[in-house]
Amino acid sequence: MAHLCLFSLLVLSMVLETQALTPTHHLTTTDVARLQAVLSQPFTDLKSAYYSVVGLSKLGILVADADETCQFIKSNLDPSSVESLFYAAEASQALSGCEIPVSNDTRDLLLATVSEDSTASQIHQSVSALSSLGLPLASQEVVSALKARISKEDNVLTIILALQTASRLSQQAELGDILEEIEDLAARLDDLSGVYLQFEEGLETTALFVSAAYALSDHVDMEPPLKEDQVIQLVNSIFSKKSWDSLSEAFSVASAAESLSNNRFHVPVIVSAQGPAAISHSQPFLRLQVTDVLCQPLSSASVLVESASTSSSKSAILSQAPFTLRDEVFELNFMASQPASGYYQFSVAIAGDSRFVANHVELKVKVSTRVAINNMDLSVVDKDQSTGPKTTRVEYPTKAKAPFMADSHQNFAMAFQLVDETTGVELTPHQTFVRLHNQKTGQEVVFVAEPDSKNLYKFELDTTERKTEFDSISGTYALYLMMGDATLENPILWNVADVVLKFLDEEAPSTIQAKTLYTPKPEIQHLFREPEKKPPTVVSNAFTALVLSPFLLLLILWVKLGANISNFTLSPSTFLFHIGHAAMLGLMYVYWTHLNMFQTMKYLAIIGSLTFLAGNRMLAQKAVKRIAAEQSSRLAKYRSLR
Amino acid sequence: MSNSVFSVISRFVEEYRSSTPNKLKVIDAYLLYILLTGVFQFLYCVLVGTFPFNSFLSGFIACVGSFILAVCLRIQINPQNKRDFLTVSPERAFADFLFAHTVLHLVVVNFVG
Repeated sequence: MAHLCLFSLLVLSMVLETQALTPTHHLTTTDVARLQAVLSQPFTDLKSAYYSVVGLSKLGILVADADETCQFIKSNLDPSSVESLFYAAEASQALSGCEIPVSNDTRDLLLATVSEDSTASQIHQSVSALSSLGLPLASQEVVSALKARISKEDNVLTIILALQTASRLSQQAELGDILEEIEDLAARLDDLSGVYLQFEEGLETTALFVSAAYALSDHVDMEPPLKEDQVIQLVNSIFSKKSWDSLSEAFSVASAAESLSNNRFHVPVIVSAQGPAAISHSQPFLRLQVTDVLCQPLSSASVLVESASTSSSKSAILSQAPFTLRDEVFELNFMASQPASGYYQFSVAIAGDSRFVANHVELKVKVSTRVAINNMDLSVVDKDQSTGPKTTRVEYPTKAKAPFMADSHQNFAMAFQLVDETTGVELTPHQTFVRLHNQKTGQEVVFVAEPDSKNLYKFELDTTERKTEFDSISGTYALYLMMGDATLENPILWNVADVVLKFLDEEAPSTIQAKTLYTPKPEIQHLFREPEKKPPTVVSNAFTALVLSPFLLLLILWVKLGANISNFTLSPSTFLFHIGHAAMLGLMYVYWTHLNMFQTMKYLAIIGSLTFLAGNRMLAQKAVKRIAAEQSSRLAKYRSLR
Repeated sequence: MSNSVFSVISRFVEEYRSSTPNKLKVIDAYLLYILLTGVFQFLYCVLVGTFPFNSFLSGFIACVGSFILAVCLRIQINPQNKRDFLTVSPERAFADFLFAHTVLHLVVVNFVG
């Protein structure tokens, strides 16, 4: 039992894994036209001429006034620059009948650039120029130069340029090592949530990689080691950007698009429905456009519906039905199978070429229909069932002639059936509402009509039960039936009848006030932080005086003790010291009122150092005097003792 | 009991008057001044309230700090303590006093707001 579970789980996971990716981003015809417009901009120098001419040739478009362009190329060519020669050679190759004159010096310059010391870009440019100009080159030398370059510089762009260069060499050369680089490079791509695959260097690098990889693979006729899902992820990355920042970016995208539509191994298929994928009796054909990445229709393909089943029941309506090709669009008359309205899951396969990638597509198709209302019966039923219901039948779209009454003794009831207009099958749309609208007060109440087991819709209105919804306002209400669904082509709003409702405990009918949802709300007054309560100024002043009073006491005591400045030495250091000290105290006051700590420290450093020096001098002099006085007094004492 | 306390106090006052050098008495007067200033600030805080608290703190700390520094100066200048402060001359003590006061004032003025 456990083995069986495990086995089925394994099979299930395998089935899920084989669900192939389909492109989520691709170029539409407007995008291709925009790309063409970007590449057709008038060119200012040889580089932009190269991008424009070669880019447009990749899109399959010939440049207008080829002669003028050729003249432009020839006049802007700088024969001493390898880059200039490269642009000119490639561009002239794309134009018909444009020959660039080549001198021996040019050829020698190009051949000399093929060496280990040139950058990969230079090698690529010289080899491409030699190849386009029809000059001979030594393929093996190029290969060894490229291999040396790759081992020195391992970045992505170098390897891409090496791939491009190798695709221009002779097929006899040993390109195996360079071919292996494709796989290594593919491993360096970043997978973003399983949808995108791109280099962190960006879109241009990814696009150049694709064109280089396929160019080399075609050249050596070996399938590139890229899985189908990887190809689709690359398609998503490269074609997700629909407006390009620079000419080189547009060129790289055009280049990648051309390689992906024209190589020998992988051709991604883009399937899109023409218009919405919706079918109805007026529009019975499902139309699909099957193109390559450049929006060119794949006329050789044969499109087949593998299975078409309803989204809910998964029972197949259609199996193995082919599409017919008409005017480059594949169409299928699905209405011929007489599907019921709803959503269908189509599994479409595109065959015809073994190169096709992402050729299994899942589509969701909507089949819509028109609805008809049958047997609309309106009746007034007595609550106590004393008298039989009076039923009136109303035909859509007319309105019942007489209004219906409903009050506390009687209920109002409605029954109807909804069927498909053509097939007569019963339908249950998503929205079936009954709306009662009071014309006088503007009030409206909406109820839902529910179908019973036999798909017969019923609606009953009991005035006592529902009086809260109506706010107990009696009066004439217009009854509307509203019906809608995504698969209905004719949504319905039908004024069926007028109903007069009488409620008990009726309040005086007041006009409904519009909800006060959008009126200005009462203003909030912001309360600023209240300043703290301060004591009265008298108290503060009194205490200030009290706190300062001990200073007077100090002065009095000092005078009494006989403190004096009789020892004041009149020397410059003394003056400087006292001035400096006073200045420091003054600085303290200024700090309190004006300055911040940094300014104070600055001034303090200056004044402080002056004061220190002066004070040091002064105190030293004092010390000398004191020691002299002490010594003389000791001497005097010693003498007196003797 | 009170007699002995009174006699001790009067004896102490006599001793103080006679044997304390004048310099120290000057510093003692200064100490009394600082003390009274601090007490009056504290009295204000107790009676009226602590608003603004930072000003009260800075003023009170100024008084306390000045008192401590002056006591240090007095100890260092006292000729009876000369043996404990052989490396510190009275001038050096005074210079230290001034420097410490500068730092104290800086902090106090920063905090008074």
